This record gives sequence, structure tokens and C-alpha cells, in this order.
Amino acid sequence: MSDSVPIVSGRYSHDLLLHDSDEELVAGTTSFVEQGLESGGHVLVHSTQARVALFKEVLGTHPRLEYGLDEDLYLSPSRTLFAYQRKLAESPRPIELWATGTVPLGDDAAGHPAWGRYESLVNEVLGPYAFHGLCSYDTQVLPERTIAAAKAGHPHMGAGDQRTASPEYKHPADFLTDPLAGVPDPPSDPPGATMTIPGVHHLRQARDLVRRTCVSSSAVARDTVDDFVAAVNEVVVNGLHHGGAPVRLALWTDPARLTCLVTDLGPGIADRLAGYRYPEPDGPKGLWVARQLCEDIFVGSLPGGGSGVLVIAE
Amino acid sequence: MKSLDRRPTDWDGHVALVHDSERQRRIGVADWVRCGLDLGAKVLYIEPEDVPPERSLLGLLEEHALRVEEALADGRLEIFTASDEVYSPTWQEGVTDEALAVGYPSVRWSGEERTAWSVMSPARHTEIEWETDLLCNTRPVSIMCQYSAHLPQPTLETVCAVHGAGVRDSQLRALPTPEGLALAGSADAANDRLLRSTLVARAATAAADGGRIIVDLGELEFLDVAGARALWTGTTAHRMRGGTVRLTRPLPRVDRMLRLLGAQQAPGFEMEDAHE
Repeated sequence: MSDSVPIVSGRYSHDLLLHDSDEELVAGTTSFVEQGLESGGHVLVHSTQARVALFKEVLGTHPRLEYGLDEDLYLSPSRTLFAYQRKLAESPRPIELWATGTVPLGDDAAGHPAWGRYESLVNEVLGPYAFHGLCSYDTQVLPERTIAAAKAGHPHMGAGDQRTASPEYKHPADFLTDPLAGVPDPPSDPPGATMTIPGVHHLRQARDLVRRTCVSSSAVARDTVDDFVAAVNEVVVNGLHHGGAPVRLALWTDPARLTCLVTDLGPGIADRLAGYRYPEPDGPKGLWVARQLCEDIFVGSLPGGGSGVLVIAE
Repeated sequence: MKSLDRRPTDWDGHVALVHDSERQRRIGVADWVRCGLDLGAKVLYIEPEDVPPERSLLGLLEEHALRVEEALADGRLEIFTASDEVYSPTWQEGVTDEALAVGYPSVRWSGEERTAWSVMSPARHTEIEWETDLLCNTRPVSIMCQYSAHLPQPTLETVCAVHGAGVRDSQLRALPTPEGLALAGSADAANDRLLRSTLVARAATAAADGGRIIVDLGELEFLDVAGARALWTGTTAHRMRGGTVRLTRPLPRVDRMLRLLGAQQAPGFEMEDAHE
């Protein structure tokens, strides 16, 4: 095809492979793996047990080719995202990583938006590195909405000489405002606890309130509560330093889910992508750390000015 | 969370109360006086001549519902007006020894930095603080000096250096140990400057070629990014001259925070595994 574009070794790429048969899947994966091995990079093929067996048969073994199982590598979107980032950013020597597989979307369609956001955020989080992703989506079984989100989350589609720029691709900041991203709203019922935080000297009080409320009215594991408290603490500090005091906090607890909305009165437009990029040595790290301590953090602007940050743990 | 305020034995020695606000100072002082009277100690307090009633010790104690008329009448609590003499170590030693001679098991002194600075230069006061540390090491004396957390960083570092028994604010206690420093409480964006100053002061007394400082995190209940940054910046000079910093006994949540920030691979740092 005349408008096909090749993957450039040493740079970043993130491609979508739509397929409705195993043959298409194997052909696309094979071409990606071969180019990865030729580039001298490390190649990771991950999938379900059955598919990994199939790929092993076709692709064989190679010192730089590794097979992995989804259940080991794709525990939760944010954990997977930052695990890849740390692997690339903290490697003592520059590495080139080629990863391909089916992004496990969970057992039901309700979990799809979280992995849809993951796909889009990969572009932000791994964009600076020599990372190549080829994500396969089975059009036979996946709902249209999930396929649409995948098209918006990958800059390119197709493999080998079928690879083209994706016309429906959206920048991650724009994707997060799209209904396809399924960014949740704060719960509409009254919060279980609220607090106004005038300055850093009320941080400990705020943490005590959040911890107490979570422990008494949810069944979330103690470590998860501790990490959630630490994540909320960082978001509050961020609001006090970069937004404007007072910072307000509202907390909702379910048996298995903790939600905290932190709002400040700061001027300007909130950066939805804050805290995703690997931090500079002396740069701010609070939000980046907070994102790794919980399930999800959503940054948004409030209708009347200021920003609202939703922190969620499960 | 363990209360730091209810362990009177921890109060002994020459400590600095570093406060962020007048409210925090008042809570800290009221607690310190209550603690002293409970222990049967003689409590001595230095105030400026023109202290307004609401800022005075008696105003502060009244606010915290601490009745001290009796203690004032029988001499268990005594308030002095600041002067050159009151700050002279010889005079303080005399008053202290007198109290011990009449049977008090221990003596407690307190006052604000600004009170001292109203009758002498900060430099002279620092010299006295060094001598005071000696007084605390030779007698059952506890001296709590009150300092504002908003003082310039070099001044805070000096404050941390001269208080041999450590520094505390409303949520963190930093206690010098033979090997380094033991931290208890919470280190966060509210007290990161204080933690940094404490580390700088402690590291300055380490071997000139660096050596190893052990920071015992066993009783540190919470550490945030700002607190962790203070662990870095407070020991930068020490690590730059070849010294190492060993972080021991972190709670799992403190350990997770440190590892997320890369402490396990940061130059000059050694990490001990978390304890449950």
C-alpha cells in the first residue's frame, strides 16, 4: 500500500491491530516480532495461555524474545502503565522494548473504559522512550464502543505494509474529555465526610479523617487504605501549593471502593495529564507518586474555576 | 497513631519546640507545663518584661484550663522576667541546684527565642544554648526552647544542632542517636524544613570523610513526598563527601513511599527491609 508507514526503530510507536481471525493476528504479530528482533530490542509477547502456546509454535524461541501471561503483566491499568514506564526510565542502559498482545479488558464491558484510557495514556507515559506496542483487538467479540476507543487511543493501525496513521486518533488530553474515555463523575450522593484544609498544618488532621472514615465504613484492605491516604495527602499538598487554599475534600466509601474529591480555588485550567510523565530529578513528584498509590486519579476543571481531582482506590 | 505528647520520659534533656503558629506553640507549652507538674518537677519559665497578658504563660495556661494558682503559691511554678542575669548559665545552674537541693526530682525550664533575643544577640544566645546542653547532661534538667518554624534555614539548622536531646514540632520528633537520628511521628509538607535542618545539623557532626549515618524510621508513622525530599536534601552534603545514609526499620507504608521515589537505588542511600 502506498500510504503505509514503517515503524522507526529507536523511537516510540503504539499500533492497533484489528483482526477477526487467528491468521490475521498471527501474521500481524509475526511481522512486529521480526522487526523487533532485527532492531536488536527486547520483544515481549503476552496473551492468554492458549494464545501464548499458539505464538510459541509459530515464532519459536530467541534470546531476546519473551512470552508472558496477561494475568501476570496486566493486573490493573495504572500498575501496568507505570511498570512499563519505570522499566524504560530506570534502566541503567537505554533499552528498546517491543511489546505485543491483547490488552486484557476484563471479564465484562464495564471494565473496558479503564483499559481504553490506559491505551490512550500509554502515548503520554511511554512517549519519550524507545517503546513499541502492537495491541490486538478481536472485532468478532468486542463491542463497537471498545473498538472505537482503541482507534482513538492508537496513533497508528495495522502491521507490516498495512501500517497507516489512524485517522481517529486523539491526543490523550482530548481523549480524556471524550465520552469514550468514560471518566467517572464524583458520586452524586452526599459524601460520608468532608473537610476544609486551610494549609499544610491541617494535613495530618485530613489524613486522620480519611483513614478513620475508610477503616470504619469500608472493607478495603489496610494497605490499600494506607496508600489511598498517602495519595490523597499528595493531591491536597498539590492543591495547596499549585492551586489555592483552602482546599476542600469530600469522601465517599463503599465496601470495596474509596472515592475522594479534592478541590481547590486556583486559577487556570487543570492539566488532565499532570503526574503521568516520569518526573525530572528535581521536579514535582507528588501527583506521579499519588497515581501509583491508587487505582485512578482524574484531574479536571471546576465549572466556577479551580480544579477538582478525583482519587479512587479499590 | 502513638501520641508523642504522653511520654514524659521522652521530654528530658535539651529539646527545641519548633512551632508553626502561635496556636501550636500554646498547645506545646501547656502540655509541657502540665507534664512537668504531673512529674513533680519544678517548672521555671522566662518571659519578657512587657509581655501582653494574652501571650503570657498564665494567659496561655488559663486558655488550656490548667489551674496553677497553687503551684505558683508554693513555688512549683516560677516565672522570671528576662534579663542578662536570667540567661547566664551560672545563674541558671544555681537556681537549678537550689531546686534539686530542696527535694524536687527534676527541673524544667522554658522560654521563647524572641524573649532571649530581646535581651541579647542571637549569636550570644546560641553560645548559651551550647552551654545549656551541658547543664542538661549533668543534672535531671529538661529545657524546652521555643522557636518559630519560619526562621531562616541556617538559623533552624543551628537550632537543631544545639539541642542535644532533639527537636520536636506538633507531629514529628527527631532524636539524635549515637549513630544518627531517630524519627517518630509524621514527616510531611508541614514540617519538611524542620526535618531537613535536623538532618543537616546531625550530618555536620558525622566524620569529616562522611562515614555512615543511620536514620531510624521505626516510629515514623507517615512520610510523604515532601518529607522524603527532606531526607534527600538534608543529607546531600554528607553524601557528596562520600558519606552514606542508612534508612532502617521503615513501616511498610513508609517503605513503599521511599521505594516509589527510588531510595533503594539513590546514590549514598542504603535501605533496610520494611518491618511489620
